[in-house]
Amino acid sequence: MYDIQLIGVSKTYTGSNEAAVKELSLNVERGSIVTLLGPSGCGKTTTLRLIAGFERANKGQIILAGKTVSDKNTWIPAEKRGIGMVFQDYALFPHLNVFDNIAFGYRESDKVKRVLEVLDLVGLNGYEKRYIHELSGGQQQRVALARALARRPAVVLLDEPFSNLDADLRVAMRLEVKRIIKEAGATAIFVSHDQKDALAISDQIVVMRKGIVQQIGTPREIYQYPENKFVASFVGQSNLIEGVIGNDLNTVVTSLGTIPCQHTHCLCEGEEVCISIRPDSLEMDENGHIEGTVIQFTYTGEAIDAVIALDQSDGTSQKLLVHIHPEENIKIGDHLRFKILPNFVAVVKNE
Amino acid sequence: MNNGFLEEKKHKREIQVRGFLRTFFSIGINFWNRIWRGNAPDFPLFIFASVTSALMGLPIIYVIWRSAFAGKDRWVRLLDTRIPTLLWSTLSLGVIVTIFALIIGVSLAWLVQRCNIPGRKAMQWLLALPLVIPPYVGAVTYIIILGPRGWIRDWFGSSPFNIYSFWGAAFVLTMFTYPYVFLITSAALKKMNRSFEEAARAQGLTSYEILWKVNLPLLRPAIGAGAILIFLYVLSDFGAIAMLRYNTFTSAIYYQMGSYDNLSATVLSMVLILVTLIVLWIEARTRKKQKYYQTTKSYKKPQLYQLGFWKVPVLLYMLAVFFLSVVLPITVLIYWSKLGIEAGALDQRFWAYGWNSIKVSGLAALACMVLALPIVYLKSRYKSYFTIFIDKLSYSGYALPGVIIALGMIFIFNQYIPWLYNTPTLLAIAYVIRFLPQSMQSADSSLNLISPSIDEAARSLGFAPLKVLFKVIIPLITPGVLAGGALVFVSAIKELPATLLLRPPGFDTLAVRIWVETSESVYHLAAPAALLIILVSIVPLKWMLSKY
Amino acid sequence: MFKKKKITIMMLIAMLVVAFTACSTDTTQPQDQGDVAPNETKELVVYSTRNETFVQPLLDKFESETGIKVLALHGGDAVINKIKEEGRNVQADIVISNDIGALEHLRLEGFLQGYEPNGIEAIEERYIAEDMSWFALSARARVFMYNKDLITEEEMPKSILDLADEKWKGEFAITRGGNGSMIAHISALRNEWGDDKTLEWLDGVKENAGAITQGHGDVRRAVGAGEFKFGLVNNYYYHQQLREPNDNNVGVIYLDQAENEMGTVVNAAGVGFVKGAPNELNGQRFLDWILQPENQREFSYASLEVPINPAIEAVGEAAKISDFKVQSMPLRELGKVWADTRNLIERSGLDLEIR
Repeated sequence: MYDIQLIGVSKTYTGSNEAAVKELSLNVERGSIVTLLGPSGCGKTTTLRLIAGFERANKGQIILAGKTVSDKNTWIPAEKRGIGMVFQDYALFPHLNVFDNIAFGYRESDKVKRVLEVLDLVGLNGYEKRYIHELSGGQQQRVALARALARRPAVVLLDEPFSNLDADLRVAMRLEVKRIIKEAGATAIFVSHDQKDALAISDQIVVMRKGIVQQIGTPREIYQYPENKFVASFVGQSNLIEGVIGNDLNTVVTSLGTIPCQHTHCLCEGEEVCISIRPDSLEMDENGHIEGTVIQFTYTGEAIDAVIALDQSDGTSQKLLVHIHPEENIKIGDHLRFKILPNFVAVVKNE
Repeated sequence: MNNGFLEEKKHKREIQVRGFLRTFFSIGINFWNRIWRGNAPDFPLFIFASVTSALMGLPIIYVIWRSAFAGKDRWVRLLDTRIPTLLWSTLSLGVIVTIFALIIGVSLAWLVQRCNIPGRKAMQWLLALPLVIPPYVGAVTYIIILGPRGWIRDWFGSSPFNIYSFWGAAFVLTMFTYPYVFLITSAALKKMNRSFEEAARAQGLTSYEILWKVNLPLLRPAIGAGAILIFLYVLSDFGAIAMLRYNTFTSAIYYQMGSYDNLSATVLSMVLILVTLIVLWIEARTRKKQKYYQTTKSYKKPQLYQLGFWKVPVLLYMLAVFFLSVVLPITVLIYWSKLGIEAGALDQRFWAYGWNSIKVSGLAALACMVLALPIVYLKSRYKSYFTIFIDKLSYSGYALPGVIIALGMIFIFNQYIPWLYNTPTLLAIAYVIRFLPQSMQSADSSLNLISPSIDEAARSLGFAPLKVLFKVIIPLITPGVLAGGALVFVSAIKELPATLLLRPPGFDTLAVRIWVETSESVYHLAAPAALLIILVSIVPLKWMLSKY
Repeated sequence: MFKKKKITIMMLIAMLVVAFTACSTDTTQPQDQGDVAPNETKELVVYSTRNETFVQPLLDKFESETGIKVLALHGGDAVINKIKEEGRNVQADIVISNDIGALEHLRLEGFLQGYEPNGIEAIEERYIAEDMSWFALSARARVFMYNKDLITEEEMPKSILDLADEKWKGEFAITRGGNGSMIAHISALRNEWGDDKTLEWLDGVKENAGAITQGHGDVRRAVGAGEFKFGLVNNYYYHQQLREPNDNNVGVIYLDQAENEMGTVVNAAGVGFVKGAPNELNGQRFLDWILQPENQREFSYASLEVPINPAIEAVGEAAKISDFKVQSMPLRELGKVWADTRNLIERSGLDLEIR
C-alpha cells in the first residue's frame, strides 16, 4: 500500500529552459521515511513542493493516500491535501504561543487533549504558554514537528529540517525526529543535501541530480552499491577506478588488478565500467597487493585521511583516498600496502 | 420530423458552443497560470489590488490623455514662450537647492558620525528636526523675519535680503529639505565598515585623503539618492515656492488652473511629468550601483577624528544651521501664536478647521492602511509582471506633484463621478492617491520580515490563501500597517496644493488656512495652525529616523 | 491576543465604511430635481472672488439671521472658470464677484439665471443684468496709491500710460494679470486704445513693475511699508491703508483726470444667481436679503467701497463716483470682451508673472 505515488511528474518553472523535475516516478510505502537527497538545484525541494501543493506539475500524476491530488485535470490546493509540513526555518507563527501554534488549523473538538498529546510526543510538556522566541532551536524544531503532526496527517513533509541546527544537536535530533515520526505512524518525506542525515533517518533514499532520479534504495544500498559515479561521489567519499567486467561476472579487471565485486548490476563480460572503492574499504595490510606512497594526509581525530599515489605498472598515475586508523603513525613518503574489503566495492555504470 | 432535425441542429450547436467555451476557458486558465508561474493568487485579492492601483494611476493617465487634445496651437504657444522660461526657473532652482542641501547634509552627517563633537547623540536627531516643519510653514516664518515688513526691517530699518526672490526660495527650500540628505548619508556612514578606513590608513593615506578617496566615493550612492529626493521635492513643491513668489512648473500649473485654463495646465503637467520621469530614471540607474556599501558582519565602530582647533568653528556651523532651520522658525511661530491666542485665534472656527483636517486625513490614513495591504501582499508573495506593474502604477501619484493629481481628479470626478465632486471624500481620495505608497512601504517592510514559509505553513495546516492573509499575515504586520497609517495621516494634514484645488465650499483645513492667512499677512491666525501641524508631524519623526 | 487584533481590524474597516458614508453625505446636494418646484434645503453655496475678510462677515450674518448654512468658497478669480467648468454638475448657488465683466461674461455664456429680487428697484438699471441675473452693489475706481514718505503728489504719475514709462521702472507694484480687477481694467484700455497699443502697454508694465503680486492686499501693504513708491489698486484699498495703525502715510491719485484724458476706470462688485443652483430657494432668499438696505450697506462698508444705491450713505472718507471723471465704457460691455482680454493678457505673459 502506497501513501505517496508520483507518476511521471515533470515541472519546468516559467522563464526557465531546464526542467526542475523530469519524469519523476516514486512510490512511498505507508509508514516509511523517504529522503530526497541531492545537491542544491537538484529538484528535491521542487518535488516536495509539488507534493505539498505549493507548485503545480506540468505533467504527471500525484496520488496521496490513494487520492489523485494533481494531474492534467485535477488540482487540489495545499490547504486541502491534509499533509503536515516542517519548514527549513520552521515557519512558526511568532504571534502565537506554542499551544496556539500547534492547535493552528486543528478543528476537532478534542483540541486541548490532542495538543497535549503531541507536545508529549515531542517531549515539550509544560511549554504550551511559551512564545516561539523564548525557545531554543531544537525546541522550535520540535514544535514545528508537533504542529505538522497534530492533525494526524497521513503524509509529513520535512524540508531540510536539520540545516539550522548545530552539529551536536543535529545528531540528537535525527534520532529524535525519526522516533517521533515512527511513533506517530506517519509517512514522511525528507528533503536534505546532507548524506549523513539521509543515511541516519531514512528507510529509503532517493538521490536526485538535475531533476532526474539517480538511484532509489535503502541507505545501505545507496552507500554500498551506488549505481553511478554521481551517487558514489555524492553519498560519502569514493575512489572511482575504471575497469572491465571480468569473465566470471563477479570481478572487475582494473589497473589495480582484478577486484572481486558482489554487485555487478547483471552487466555482461567485457563491459567498461567504473568501480567505486570507499576509503574505509581499503585496509592497511602488509600482504595487500595495492601499493603506493603517501603524498598527503590529514589527521581528523577519528581517522587519518591519506592520499596515496599508486605505483602503477603502466606508468599512469592513480591516486587513492584511504582512511587509516588514527593509531598508525605515518609520514609523507611512506610506502604502504593495502587490501580491499570486497563488500564496499561497487560497480558503477560508466556513462 | 422537421422539428427533430432543428432540435438536433440546436443540440449540435450547443455542443459546439460548449466545446468552444471550454477550449477558450482552458486557454485562458493556462495563460493565467503561465503569467503567475503556476502560482496564481486569490482572484478577489488580485482584483482588489488591480482596481486600487488603477485608481492610483488614473488621474495621471487622464492628464496625459487630455494633454494630447490640448491642440497644436496651445502646445506651440506654450512651447514657444512659457515652457522654456519655466524649465529654466524650475531646473535652476532644483539644481541650486540640491547642491546646497547636499553640502549641508553631507558635511553635517560626516561631522556628527565621524568627529568628536560634544553631544553627538543629541545632534543626530536635533539636526533632523527640520523634517517636521513643512517648507511652506518655513516660508511663512522667513517671510515674517526677512520679508519687506518683517522683523529685520523693524529692527534695522531695512531688509538686507529680498526673500521674494530666487535666492529666497532657494534658501528656504534648502533649510527645510537638507535633513533628507543628512539622514541618508548618516545611515550610509553608520553602515560603512571601519576596516575600509583602516585599510586606507595602513596604505599610508592621511585623514584628508581618506575623506576624499575612501569616504566620499563610498558615500556616492547615498548622496545620489539624497540628491534625487531633494530635486524631486523642488519639482513638486507648491506652497513655499508660491508664498515666496517664485514660479516653477508646479506653481504655474496651479495658477493656470486657478484661472481654470485646464488644457494649458495639462500641457505644463505633461512636461513636468516628463522631467520627473527622467529624474526617476536617473535614480533607478544610480540605485543599481548602491549595493556596494553593504559590508560584512565584521562591523566595527569607526574611530572618531579629533577636531582639535576646529572644534569651535565646526560647532558654530552646526548650531547656525540648527538655529536657522529650527530655533528661529519655531520662535517666530510661538511668538505669533501667542499674539494670535491672546487675540482669540483659537475660536470655534479654528477648531472646526482642525476637525476638518483630522477628518479627511484620518479617512485617508484608514483607507491607505486597507488598500495598501493587497498590493503589497501580492507583490511580495506572487511576484509576476502583473504585480510589479500594479506596484509601480500605485507609485504614480506619489512621484508626481499634487497639483497634477488634483488636475486629473477635477477632470474625472466633475465629468464622470459628479456625486463625489466637491465633497470631503474627494479630498481623502486625493490624499490616498498621493500617499498610498507611504503605507505600502511601511507594510512592505514588515511583510518582508515574514518568511513566505509562514504562509505555506498555514496553508499546509488547512487554511486557504485568503484566510492565511487574515489569520496570520495581518496580525503579524499590524504594527507596520499602523505606522504607515500614521505617516499618511501626517502627510495628508500637511498637504497643500491638492487641498487648495479640491476643497469643497465651506470646508477649509488647517493647511488651507495657513495659506490664506499668510497671503493676507494675517500671521497671528496662520501661526497657531502652523504650530499645530508641526506638533502633529513630530509623531512619525521617530519612524523616519529609523527608516534612514 | 489574536482575537483582539482581529476585532481591531474589523473595527478599522467598519470605521472606514462609516467615515466614507458620513463624508459623502456631508455635503451631498440634491441635484436631479429637474423642473420640479425647487426643494427646501438648509444650505447655500456661495462662490466668491472677493477677499474673504470682506465677504465672510456678511455671510455669517445671513446664516445667523436665516438659519441657512452658508458653504463659502473664497477661491479668488478662479471661481468664475470653476462655475463654467461645473456647468454640467452645478455646485454653486450664488457667485459674488469683484468684477461686473466676469458676471456679465457668465451670463452671456448661459451660466446665470434671472430672478427679480425684492428691492431691486433701488439699484440703478445700468448696474443690473438685462435678465436680472446679476446686479452690482458697490463701486470702486482704479487709482494709484502712493507712499507720501517717498514721493510727493506733484512728482506722482497721473496717467495709467505712465506705468509703461521706463522712468518708473522698479518703483511700483501691481497685481498679476489674472486678477479680476486687472482684467476689467485692461478690457477698458482695449476699448480705449485697441489691442496693439494695449499689448505694447502690457509689455512695458511687465518690464517695469517692481513687484507683481497675487492680490491687491500685497500691493497695498507693500506701498504702505515703503517698499515701492506707488501701486495700482482699487480706491478702497487706499481707504483701508489709511485705517492701518502703521504704514498709513499714503495718498491717492485718480487716473487720467485731465481735460482730454479718458478718466479713470470704474468697476463694481456684485452678486449673480447661478443657473441650475442646487439650493435655488435659498439663493433667491439670499438675493432678497442682500438687497435690504442694511445688508447693502454691509456689503460696501466691509471693504470701504461706495454703495451703488445712492440711498445708502457711503463711508465717510470714500470718494463718491460723482467726484471724478470716469472712463466711458459701460460696465456691462466688459462681459463681451472678458475672454478676449484674458487671451491678450496670457499672450503678454502677465497672467502668470509673480515677483
